[in-house]
Amino acid sequence: MGENGHLPPKSNIKRWLVTTNHKDIGVLYLITSMFFLVMAGILALLIRAQMWAPGATVLDPGGYYQVATSHGFLMVFWFLSPFAFGFANYVVPLQIGADDLAFPRLNAMSYWLYLFSGVLFGISFFQGATFMGGWTMYAPLNAPAFIPNYGHVGSFAAILALVMFTGSVTIGSVNFLTTIYRMRAEGLRMRDIPLFSMSILLTVWMMLFAFAALLGALVILSSDHLLHTSYFADVDGNPSSGGSLLWTHLFWFFGHPEVYIVFFPALGAMAEIVQTFSGRRLVGRKWFVIAMALVAIQSFIVWMHHMFLTTINLPIKTIMMVTTIGISLPFDLMVFALIYTMIKGRVRWKTPFLFVLGALLIFIVGGITGVFLGAIVLDYSFRGTYWVVAHFHYVMASGAVALIGALYYWYPKITGKMYNEFLGKIHFVVAFVGFNLLYFPMFVVWETPRRMFEYSAGFTFWHRVASVGAVLFAASFVIMIYNLFMSLYSDRVVDDSPWAYTGSTEWAVPSPPPTENFPGTPSFTSGSLRFLEGPEATDGGVEGEEATPDGGQVTAAADHGEPHPDHASWWPVFAGSSALLAGIGLSGLSPSMFVWPFLFALPAFVYFVGAVGARRDGFTVLHGAFLSASFLLLAVFIALFHVTQGIITGLESAPTYFWLALAGAVLGVYTLVRLGFESFYVPEPTSSAQWPFGEVENTKLGMWTFLGSDIILFGAFIGSYVFTRFEFGWQDWWHVAHEVGGLEHHPVWPGLLNTYILLASSFTVVLALVFARRGVGTTEIGPLSVENRKLTLGFIGTTFLGACLFLLNKGIEWVDLYFHQGWTFNADIMSSTFYLTTGLHAAHVVIGMMLMLFLMVRSYTGAYQGEDEARTIEYFGLYWHFVDIVWLFLFPLFYIL
Amino acid sequence: MMTPGSALLRHAAFAQVSRTPADVFDNLYLVFLVLGTLVGVVVISYTVYNAYKYRASDPDAEGRYDVEETPPEEDGDGVARPQVGEIPTGSGKGGGKKLFVSFTISAVIVLGLIVYAYSLFLYVEDTNQLYDGEDTEDPLEIQVVAEQFRFTYVYPDGTTTEELRIPKDRPILVNVTSQDVMHNFGIRELRVKADAIPNQYNEAWFQAEETGTYEAICYELCGVGHSSMRGEEVIVMEPEEFNDWYDSSEAEKAEVSG
Amino acid sequence: MASIKLYTAIFGVLMVLSTMQAALEFTGLLEEFYVPIMGVMLLLSTIKAVSVAGWYMHVFDEPRAISYLAIAAVIGVLALIAGAAYSIT
Ligand code: HEM
Ligand SMILES: [Cu+2]
Ligand SMILES: [Cu+2]
Repeated sequence: MGENGHLPPKSNIKRWLVTTNHKDIGVLYLITSMFFLVMAGILALLIRAQMWAPGATVLDPGGYYQVATSHGFLMVFWFLSPFAFGFANYVVPLQIGADDLAFPRLNAMSYWLYLFSGVLFGISFFQGATFMGGWTMYAPLNAPAFIPNYGHVGSFAAILALVMFTGSVTIGSVNFLTTIYRMRAEGLRMRDIPLFSMSILLTVWMMLFAFAALLGALVILSSDHLLHTSYFADVDGNPSSGGSLLWTHLFWFFGHPEVYIVFFPALGAMAEIVQTFSGRRLVGRKWFVIAMALVAIQSFIVWMHHMFLTTINLPIKTIMMVTTIGISLPFDLMVFALIYTMIKGRVRWKTPFLFVLGALLIFIVGGITGVFLGAIVLDYSFRGTYWVVAHFHYVMASGAVALIGALYYWYPKITGKMYNEFLGKIHFVVAFVGFNLLYFPMFVVWETPRRMFEYSAGFTFWHRVASVGAVLFAASFVIMIYNLFMSLYSDRVVDDSPWAYTGSTEWAVPSPPPTENFPGTPSFTSGSLRFLEGPEATDGGVEGEEATPDGGQVTAAADHGEPHPDHASWWPVFAGSSALLAGIGLSGLSPSMFVWPFLFALPAFVYFVGAVGARRDGFTVLHGAFLSASFLLLAVFIALFHVTQGIITGLESAPTYFWLALAGAVLGVYTLVRLGFESFYVPEPTSSAQWPFGEVENTKLGMWTFLGSDIILFGAFIGSYVFTRFEFGWQDWWHVAHEVGGLEHHPVWPGLLNTYILLASSFTVVLALVFARRGVGTTEIGPLSVENRKLTLGFIGTTFLGACLFLLNKGIEWVDLYFHQGWTFNADIMSSTFYLTTGLHAAHVVIGMMLMLFLMVRSYTGAYQGEDEARTIEYFGLYWHFVDIVWLFLFPLFYIL
Repeated sequence: MMTPGSALLRHAAFAQVSRTPADVFDNLYLVFLVLGTLVGVVVISYTVYNAYKYRASDPDAEGRYDVEETPPEEDGDGVARPQVGEIPTGSGKGGGKKLFVSFTISAVIVLGLIVYAYSLFLYVEDTNQLYDGEDTEDPLEIQVVAEQFRFTYVYPDGTTTEELRIPKDRPILVNVTSQDVMHNFGIRELRVKADAIPNQYNEAWFQAEETGTYEAICYELCGVGHSSMRGEEVIVMEPEEFNDWYDSSEAEKAEVSG
Repeated sequence: MASIKLYTAIFGVLMVLSTMQAALEFTGLLEEFYVPIMGVMLLLSTIKAVSVAGWYMHVFDEPRAISYLAIAAVIGVLALIAGAAYSIT
C-alpha cells in the first residue's frame, strides 16, 4: 500500500488491482475494451440476424431495441474511446518523455470507474430490461412515463452507468491535459509532440467539455426518473413543451464532438503509422495539426445538423449547414496529407500499415457520404434511414479499423513479442472484405428506415449480403485474438524498435519499457532525444509535505534518502466498486427512499475523517469532536428517517437495493477518506517543458481543468433553463408560477441572504489561505497573539459554518415552497428547473463541506502552515470560489428575473 | 420563413418551374452521386496507386521484422527519413504545394455543390410560394398527429382519418405534431419527412404526381412498437375523385375508407 | 499575494453589488424596464464573478492560459445557450 507503493510482479493478480502505473493501466484498458468489443459485436450479430428477413424473426421488438440500443452504447462508449485510451495511457507518457501521468491514482480510478460502469451496464440487462430508446436517448421516450414498467429499473441503471462512465472520462481528461501540458521532456515544445499525443490532447479537450454537457443531460434525465421533475415528461406521460428539443440540443452538443472524440485518436495513430511505414515524415505536418485543432473547436458549433428535421428555424439551419461543410474541409486536408506522405516513401505493407490504408479508404467513403448529409435537402430524405447508418459506420468503424492497426503497431512495444505477420495479413483481408460487405449494401438499400426491422421485401438480398459481411467481419477478430494470444508465447522477441523509420520516444526504450520508463531524464534540448544521467539528478527533491493530486498528503521520506515514486494503491479499485454498488442500489430505489443511503453515509464520512485522521496525525480534541459529531449526526438522521418513513416499517420494507446503496455509499466515503490520507508520492515535474502552464503546479492545473468542465456542466443546466424559458415565453415565466403552481411571490429574500452568506464564505476561505501562508508563527490581532494554525482552522471553520447557514436557509426556503406553497418538483414548468439547478449547486456546497471537514482536521495539526503546504487550501479555495461564482448567476436568474 | 435572399433566388430561377420536393431530391441526389463517386474513385485509386508504387520491395533485414534503414546519405531520392529520438517535424518541403492544390480543388467542388444545394434548399423550404401561384390551387393543409403507434390526419374541415387521402398535382402542406413521444412522419417516394414533436408544429410540403398507394412511415424510434409504425396507407387520388370524397359526409367517408 | 485590506475591500464591493441587484427588483425598476434592467443585472453578476475569479482565485496573477481555459468553457456555454435559444422558431 501507499507506505511502500511497490508493485507486485505481473503474474500476481494483486498487481492488477493496485497498480497505478500508466503502462499497466493502458493494458487493462486495452483488454477490457476488447471484452466490450466482443460483447457489442455479439449484439451486432443479433441485429444482423434480425435483419436477415423483414419482421421480428429472431428477437421480439423489446429485445431488438434493447440489443440495438446497447450495441450503440457499448461500441461508442465502452469500446472505441477506452480502446484508444488504452494506447493513450501506454504511449503518451512515453512519447512526451514523462515517467507517468500527472495523477496516477486518479488514472487508476478512471479505469476502475470505466470497468465498473460497464459492469453496471451489463447488469442492467438482468433488471427486467435495459434502456431501449436508442443510443441518442431521445426525449420524452427516455422518461419513465414512456418506458414500460418492466424496464424502469434496468433503464435507469443504464443511465447511471453512463453517468459513471462520464465520471471516468472527466477524470481522465483532467489527467491527460495536465500531463501533456506540464510533463513534457525538456526541449519538447507543444507543437512538437508526436501526432498521436497531439490527437489525444485535442481529444481530451473535446472530452472535457462535451462529456460535461452529456453529464448535464444525464443528470437532468435522472432527475426526471428519480425526483419526478418534468423536464421531458411528467409521470403521467404529459410531455413538456420544449423537452424533446431540449434533449436534442443537449445530446447533440455533446454528440457531435463525441463522434470526433472517438475518431481523433485513430487519426493520430494513422498519422504515426503512415509515417513509420512510409519512412517519411508527415507532409504538411503543421497544417495537419492546425486542421485538427480547427475541427476540434468547430465540432461544438455544428450540432444542429442532426436536427434538420426538427422545428429549428431557417437561419440556424443555414448556419449549421455552413459550419458542417466547413468542418469537412480540414478533414480533406488531413486525408491528402496522409496520402502525399506515401509518395517517395519506402512503403512496407505490414499489417499495421494495411489496416491504416484500409481505414483511410473507408474514411474517404464515409467523409464523402457525410457531405451528402450536410446538404440539407438531401438530409431531409436521408435522415432516419440506413444512409446515416452506413455513413457513420464508414467513419466511426474506420476509426476502429485504424486502431486495430495501432494495436498491431504497438503490440511488440507492449509485449516485447512480434505478432505473426501472415495471420495479421489474413486478418486484414478478411476484415476489409467483411467490412465493405457489411456496410456498403446499406448505401444500396439506404431507403430502409433505421431502427426498424420491417423493411421492403425487395431489399432482402442486400440485407443478407450485409449479414454475411457481418459474420465475416466478426470472424476476422477471432483470427486476431488467436494471433495476439499465441504470439505472447512465441520466441519472436523484439528490441527497442522492431520497425524501421520510427521516430517518437517510445521506440527509444526497451520493449516492454521498464516501470520508470527511461534510463535517465529525457531531454530534447540538444535537438534530439538524450537521457540525462540519473533520473532524479536535476530534481531537487520534493521537501516536506507535498499535496498530491487527490488532496492526499505525501511525506517525501527525506530521511530515507531519495523518495521513490509510489505505484500502488488499493483505493482506486475500491472507489470504482463502491460506485458500482451505489449505482445498482440507486437504480432500484423509489423517490422517497433513495436519499437515505447517501444521507447515512454523511455521518460515516465524519466518523472516518476523525478516526483515520487520528490514526495518521495522533488523537486530538478535534478528532474527538468529529467522532462525537458523527454519532450525533447519525442520531439526527435516524430520527428524521423515523419521522418520514417510520424506522421499523421503513427498514422492513427496505429493498435489497437500499442495502446495496448504503454499502456503496459508506464504502465510497471510507475510500475517499483513505485516499485523502494516503501517503502517495508523485514527484512534481521540475525539469520539463511546461508551456503555457509554467508556474501552475500540476494539482492546480488539474483543478482548473476540472472547473472548466464544471462550467460546462452548470452551463448545461442554465442553458436548459434559458431554453425552456425562452420556449415558454421569457416574461410569462412568473405568471405560470403564480397561476398554475400557486407560488406566492418572487423569493428574493432567501436568495439575497444566501448570496451574502456565500460571498462571506469566499472571503473567509481567502483569509484561511492568507494565514496558512504565514507559516508556523503567530499573528498579533489587537492585544491577542494567535497562532496562525488556529487562524487557518478558524477561518475554514467559519467557512464551514457559512455553508451550514446557506443550506439551512435553503432548507427553510424549500420547505416553505414545497410543502407550504405546494410548489412541488413538477408543479409547473418552472419548478423543475428551479429545484434542480439550485439543487445541483447545493450538492456542490455539500461536497465542499465534506472537503472542509477534511481540511479542518488536517489544519488543526498545522499541516497547511507554509508557502507550499498552504497550496491544498488554495486548491480548495478555487473550488469554493467557483461554487460562489455560479451562485452569483443563479441568484438573478432564479430569484429576480 | 422567407428571407429576401430566398425570394430573389426563387424569382431568378425556380419560381416558374413547378418542381416537387421529390424532383428536387432526385436531381440533387444524382448530381451528388455522380460527383461523389467520381471524387471517391479518383482519390481512392490515387491512394492505392501511391501505396503500391512506393512500396519497398526489399525483404526484412536479417533477424528483424522490417527492412534495413538506409542511412540518410545513401538515400537516393534525397528524402530525409524519420529517426528515433528526433524532435517530430514535418517533411519540410515537398508535397506542401500539392497538398494545397488538391485541398483547394476539393474545397471548390464541395463549396460549389453546397451553394447549389442551398439554393434548392431555400426553394423547398419556402412554403409561402405555394400560395402565390395565380392559376394554381392553394395547397391542401393537413394536420398530422402522431402517437404510439399510428398517425391521424385532420383535414381543414375537421375530418379526421387514419389513412391519408390526397389529390395528385396539388401541393400538400402538412403540419406535423405528436401526442406522446417524438416520431417522424415520412412518405418515402414523395420525399416528405418531418419530425413529430410533442407540443411543436412542424411544417413540410410535398406533391404527388401520380395516383396510387404509398406508405407513411415513422422514421424516429418511438417505442417498442416503432417497427410496425409503417404501412399506414397514403392514397393519392385524381383531384375530382378526391373532391367527391372530401365533400361527402363523415359517414360516407368512413364507408369509402372501409 | 494581495493584502487582507484589498480582500476586504473586494468583499465590501461584492456585498454592495448584490444588494443593488435585489434593490433593482424591490424598487420596481425591473417591472418597468425589463430588458435593460435585465442587462444591468447580468452585468453586475459578471462584474462580481470576474472580481471573485480575478482576486480571490488569483487568476490575475496566473499565466494567461488559465484565463483562456476558463474563457473557452464559458464560450462553449454561450454557444450552447445562444444556439439553442436562437433556433426556436
Ligand atoms: C466529413 C465530414 C462529415 C460530415 C459533413 C458529416 C455530416 C453528418 C450529418 C449531417 C449527420 C446527420 C445525419 C442525420 O441524422 O440526418 C451525420 C451523422 C453522423 N455522423 Fe457524420 N459527418 C462527417 C464526418 C463524420 C465523422 C468523422 C464521424 C465519426 C467518426 C461521423 C459520425 C457520425 C455519426 C455517428 C452520425 C449519426 C448519429 C446518429 O444519428 O446516431 N461523421 N454526419
Ligand atoms: Cu454530427
Ligand atoms: Cu416510430
